[in-house]
Amino acid sequence: MKVLEARNITKTFPGVVALDSVDVSFELGEIHCVIGENGAGKSTLIKCLTGVYEPDEGEILINGENAVRNKALFDKIAYVPQEIDLFDHMTVAENLFLPYKKSGFNGRVNRRLLNKRAMPILERFHIQADPDALVKDISVSQQQLLQIARATVNDYEVLMLDEPTTSLTTKDTEILFDIVRQIKSENKAVIFISHKLDEIFQLGDVITVFRNGVKVAYSDIKSVDIPWVITKMTGRELDYNQVFYSDKVSDEVLLEVEHLTGERFTDISFSLKKGEILGFAGLVGAGRSELMQAILGYLPVYSGSVKLEGKPWKFGDTNFSVNNGFIYLPEERKSQSILPMLSVRENISISALDGLASKSGISRRKERELAQQVIEDYDVKTPTMEREIKFLSGGNQQKVIIGRSMRCNPKVMVFDEPTKGIDVGTKTQIYRMMKQLAEEQGIGIILISSELEEVMKCSNRIIALYNGRKAGEFDEKAEKEQILSCILGVKSNEKETIRA
Amino acid sequence: MSKQTRRNGNSILSALKKSNLTVIGGVLVLMIILASIFSPYFLDVYNLQSLIRDLAFIGMIGVGQSLLLLIGELDLSVGKIASLCGIMSGMMMVHWHWNPFLSLIAAVLFGLLLGCLNGLIITKLRLNAMVATIGMQGVYGGINLVLTKGKAITNIPSEIHFLGKGNVGYIPVPFIFTLVILVFVLFLISKLKTGRYIYAIGNNREAAKILGIKVDKIRIIIYSIVGFISAIAGVLYVARLGSAQSSVGENWPMNSIAASVIGGVALTGGIGNPAGALIGAAIISIIQNMIVLFGVNVYWQSAVSGFVVIIAISFSSLSTIISERKKRKIKLSNLEQNQ
Repeated sequence: MKVLEARNITKTFPGVVALDSVDVSFELGEIHCVIGENGAGKSTLIKCLTGVYEPDEGEILINGENAVRNKALFDKIAYVPQEIDLFDHMTVAENLFLPYKKSGFNGRVNRRLLNKRAMPILERFHIQADPDALVKDISVSQQQLLQIARATVNDYEVLMLDEPTTSLTTKDTEILFDIVRQIKSENKAVIFISHKLDEIFQLGDVITVFRNGVKVAYSDIKSVDIPWVITKMTGRELDYNQVFYSDKVSDEVLLEVEHLTGERFTDISFSLKKGEILGFAGLVGAGRSELMQAILGYLPVYSGSVKLEGKPWKFGDTNFSVNNGFIYLPEERKSQSILPMLSVRENISISALDGLASKSGISRRKERELAQQVIEDYDVKTPTMEREIKFLSGGNQQKVIIGRSMRCNPKVMVFDEPTKGIDVGTKTQIYRMMKQLAEEQGIGIILISSELEEVMKCSNRIIALYNGRKAGEFDEKAEKEQILSCILGVKSNEKETIRA
Repeated sequence: MSKQTRRNGNSILSALKKSNLTVIGGVLVLMIILASIFSPYFLDVYNLQSLIRDLAFIGMIGVGQSLLLLIGELDLSVGKIASLCGIMSGMMMVHWHWNPFLSLIAAVLFGLLLGCLNGLIITKLRLNAMVATIGMQGVYGGINLVLTKGKAITNIPSEIHFLGKGNVGYIPVPFIFTLVILVFVLFLISKLKTGRYIYAIGNNREAAKILGIKVDKIRIIIYSIVGFISAIAGVLYVARLGSAQSSVGENWPMNSIAASVIGGVALTGGIGNPAGALIGAAIISIIQNMIVLFGVNVYWQSAVSGFVVIIAISFSSLSTIISERKKRKIKLSNLEQNQ
């Protein structure tokens, strides 16, 4: 029986169609796997199905009733987010039943009663923690299980698990799978979102594949295999007329990284040539940003070495890195990159204050000239240079940031998800900018992107990371399937079946 | 429209929008007018001079404090640094018979060191500024008591009394110090790299670090400046009283923060202008002056002035609350129209 159904839903954001006329339905007593690359529309779908977003078109039916009109129906959907989202300084039992009113506790909350009701639930989920223990003191694995347990405390019909195994050990993954099968046998619907193909084949009944906001395939899981899924995920339509790799890669090695290890990455070695665009592909959390932030000096390095133009590197000092031409453009523009309440002018000049000095301190005239030049050179759309940068669109903020970085005499520039949340037209502009920087100024460019197509379009070479380790290195002729299997951590024997 | 006029128009407009100085300046003028209507004594030269002498102290510390607020931190030990440096100067002058002016300079430099110590503790041990400076306030206050055993150091040489009690023309000398400090701070924030970095750190500390700004170094510099300014206030107060006392500056931390906030400097950092702190200090001083002029019962004065300060501080948050309500109304009415 169909318990949750999305009919023809479309959701657009400025410049992007995140979901395009998607039909999908979930049945009781079935484990339904949803898979797709980053940016394929999974997150938007989840947000529509849990009532966070309202679709622009189409309807969402829960037990046949329109849930967009009657939001209370969304209470039937138990959603477990990917990140652990618990109250660290409260007890295990408290976390299970918050908010109390919803869990049937009225008036005074009695800790003994709370713990008594918690015990059977903890046992069921194999959480070997005292209900009185604080959440921050139990293991990550148990926190993850607790989070799932919490979602099932109240009346629900659909359990939605978003990448539930990323922080679980193998043993706890088994426990989780047993629980999920049990939940299925209780005639509930389970939606399982994961990048781990082997898990999907172990657990799932049916599978839906998304690509670029479109549902591209739906099948019974028994009748398909891993290569089928990968083919469906990638598609084949990479447009080779639209490539942006650098045509002027020099032989001179600019950056050499050897056996670098930090908290989230292990034993990474690579080199970058002058004028080259080097892509870093991988899933979110594969350790790509952390690696670059560690070279920058923002995060700690445990061991290994870095050389820029043959000179040894100083770790843990962002000032040193920037002065020596290693520039990092963060993924999180809002929290790590713009100075939100300052003007476009001040956001530009902050990187170039040495060049603006006059006898009486910073020269306003020179500062305005610089800002004007950057605005014109990089085609920044802003009413005036005095506009606070937080009011600019993401694409224009990104252009300001690229423009100001050019004032630091960059040798290596790291673009971390440079087109995240940016419309299609501006995306192409940013690709062209990277190509130009590499070719005309001989800057070595590192591109981190979770959109495999973007990496393939722009990079001369591609390095794939999986779980903090280097999983493969490819040149521009590499096949999309090969890279994708590396990113997804498919083992080598499975890779051969893909080629065959 | 020529480029020149457009540019000027923009910068003036944005400057007005950003600092809110015009609004606060307007409030100040309004208060002066109201005060002079309600009390015939307000515009009396003697009253004005004593008012300005009071506001000079809150004002200079407020200007320093606003620098810290701009990076999202604060220093609650300013009062105790001031009194400790005052006592140090008193001991040098009276007990050790140093040259009075040399003593003042030494004490002010000592304040710079204390501020630097605050900064080092907060950055190197990664402490929360508020908690750390509460702790340091206890330490400095304790040293005060050890040094003085609770007694004031009297017989401060009369050569330096003019620094606290004197006037140049009609203007009280401490206020001249305040103005000089303000000019220095304004130059720092608008013309020097350090000043720009202060705003960058206050806006987005992570971004500042990624941009290669030496965040901790800038923080230590600001704490040192605040210590330096507090010490100047402390020794000038010794000159004003003619004695060095450990009780000086008890309410300076709170008043300096209130002055900055009334002056439009955000507690969360990144927004505001130190000049606003001086206007804020003037507003607080007029409130306190009015309470005295209206003959409010001595025992009620502190409660009333605290209450009025709360009202003054809430102006800025009130405007956000009102604009949020407006947004909600507009959105809801749009929705209704669509249905």
